[in-house]
Amino acid sequence: MTWRRRFRGASAGYLLIAPALAATVLFLVIPMVVSAYWSLTSYNGIKPPEFVGLQNYVDVLGNSRFQKAFENTIAFVILGMGIGPALGLGSALLLDRSLRLRGLFRAAFFLPTMTSLVVVATIWKFLYSDAGIINAVIGFVGLPAVSWLSNPTTALPAVVVTSIWQGFGFETVVFLAALQSIPRTFYEAASIDGAGRWAKFRWVTLPALRPTILFVYVIGIIGSFQTYDQIFVMTNGGPIQATRTIVFDLVDRFNRLDLGGASAVAYILVVFLAILSYLQLRIGEERD
Amino acid sequence: MTRARRLATLAAVMAILAGACGGAATPAPSAPPPSAQASAAPASAAPSQAAAVSPVPSIDTTPVAITVWDYYGESTPVKPALAGFEKEYPWITVDYQALDWDSMNEKFTVGVSSGEAPDVATLDMTWIPTLAANGALEDLSTISGGQLNGTPIADHYTKGALDAMTFDGKFVTMLFDFDTYALYYRADLFAKKGIAVPTTWDELRAAAKQLAESSKGSGKPDRYLYAIRPNTFHFSQFLFQDGGTILNADNTKAAFNSAAGVAAVQIQKAMLDDGSGLYWPDANNDLLPAITSGQVAMFADGPYYMGLLKTGVPDQSGDWKIAPAPYATQPGSYLGGTGLGIPVGAKHKDAAWLFIQYMLRPEQQVGVFTYAGAAPATTAALESPELTKPDPYFGGQAPFKVFLDSMATSTHFPYVGAWTEIDTFITDSLQSALLGQATPQAALDDAASQTDDALAK
Repeated sequence: MTWRRRFRGASAGYLLIAPALAATVLFLVIPMVVSAYWSLTSYNGIKPPEFVGLQNYVDVLGNSRFQKAFENTIAFVILGMGIGPALGLGSALLLDRSLRLRGLFRAAFFLPTMTSLVVVATIWKFLYSDAGIINAVIGFVGLPAVSWLSNPTTALPAVVVTSIWQGFGFETVVFLAALQSIPRTFYEAASIDGAGRWAKFRWVTLPALRPTILFVYVIGIIGSFQTYDQIFVMTNGGPIQATRTIVFDLVDRFNRLDLGGASAVAYILVVFLAILSYLQLRIGEERD
Repeated sequence: MTRARRLATLAAVMAILAGACGGAATPAPSAPPPSAQASAAPASAAPSQAAAVSPVPSIDTTPVAITVWDYYGESTPVKPALAGFEKEYPWITVDYQALDWDSMNEKFTVGVSSGEAPDVATLDMTWIPTLAANGALEDLSTISGGQLNGTPIADHYTKGALDAMTFDGKFVTMLFDFDTYALYYRADLFAKKGIAVPTTWDELRAAAKQLAESSKGSGKPDRYLYAIRPNTFHFSQFLFQDGGTILNADNTKAAFNSAAGVAAVQIQKAMLDDGSGLYWPDANNDLLPAITSGQVAMFADGPYYMGLLKTGVPDQSGDWKIAPAPYATQPGSYLGGTGLGIPVGAKHKDAAWLFIQYMLRPEQQVGVFTYAGAAPATTAALESPELTKPDPYFGGQAPFKVFLDSMATSTHFPYVGAWTEIDTFITDSLQSALLGQATPQAALDDAASQTDDALAK
């Protein structure tokens, strides 16, 4: 089949994907290419970019604030991904039974996910404030109030808690859907083989959930690496850079008109995420 | 504060793209305009201290629409002035856009880099160093010919203000309102406790100690405290008051880690340690809730805070007064405020300059006070009756005089491109010293070495 004929055969298909393709090229591919070029230049958005090779990457990687942002982001990912999906799976398991008001619980868990992160972060900022509910409860038990967001030790965990609260509803719903798609016959067969509740979970539920777990982690880790909104609202990267994340560092550079540096940070993040996602998928494949 | 900056950043990227894909031109109406009724500024330009003087161009009355970005918010003095401006300059229409202070700097930057900049913008004076160093602002010395409303620009401002408006020997902004710090204190409590208004640091510490109370009787003071703000604005006030400077004379090295810098941190730390100070970082947002609850009875801030108190804490009317800030060896404060600027790439620079001049007339300048409760920057407005009359909120005091005097001894932040970054180095070191994570000297030295690196780039 010649190229021409092959194209003619698929022309309707190409026509249908054309708008999406055009939008992708315009809003994704072109900015990515432009940004890649900027990352190799000294550029402030006003004067013409000046080619500097890999200097931005050298500067960024050697910058103490970027290093701090990187550490914080890793801590954020480990804490958030260590707790969030487990919590989501736990609540999904609880909901995966004939429970009264199951719909209500499911909606309640999912509600924070549908709420804007800025709104969620603002609410939690009030909860964490010196005169907020959390400190009121602590005071009721007789403990001294904690300045959750002004203390460099507690600020990052406090933001992580907010993010988990906001995000685990999504994980719950995804896990619940996956749980309900596991054929009941598997469990019946396991019962006949004399499997207890733990054995069923370990040998039936978990293996069946593997693709879902992989999906939740890939999406979750990428999302955690891109953390910005809640940091911006709750701590603005402080105190003393204790909650500065990679994307916060990127936006900070952008605001200082260091577009070259900001683009370099973006590409470092992209490369890092690509490697991480590749590894995760490989691990997922090997297990299968 | 509304802070959806990630969305703003997204929008920014889109804007850059949109800019790259071709700028939108404003179509000019075809009908010829009525002849200009405004008189052009006299051509005899007296030399201003900083200006490269060129002749004033004759006014072009081709119909134009200028875009004005304003971060003032609801109490803006800019919006109420528009009708009068458009009446006086009928060929100019103003597309007024209200923006947040929070997102203004970012949007301005994106606007300039994408060719979608407004014609005039209100700009925080602390952004000017970075904007000017990056070439984002038009040279107003050239556009104005050195003249503002017919007389030399230098005649309209104090020396400190003129310094603040100048970058590389050229005017890059016109100061619209000014900010300089003085001491706000609860005069009712001072009277009740027989405390004298402090004039020195030692007196300030003694007054703070006497003022602070423990409402629960637990011994740890929890009300009527002095607000300690760990930011460069408040640090520089203490630093200048002990004869220190932020950078060396030629802006090449940090100088804030001097003995004066250490003393500036120590006095604040001492107030936190003895319980008479309340640690209030910027992340806590505005101080108003702490003022309303009585937690704070003394703080340093600028004239704009008069307006905030009046609207935010009306039931404390008559309780507050304002005094010159106590100092160690000399009075001092940072000098900032709002400037009016024309971004590089503005499409209608001459019309924009007409607008700026209009906003700087005494009638409009007084609006800075009457609408926003802030301090107008031109000397003529500062002497107007509205600003010199007794204010019942401040117990019949005429508080403006205090800020005016403070302005005379205020210094603007160093005009270096890396300022925004240096500001965060200093803030971090303050927080680290005030939270007891490092000694004042070690914290400031660390910030100084980062500052030196940033300045060397």
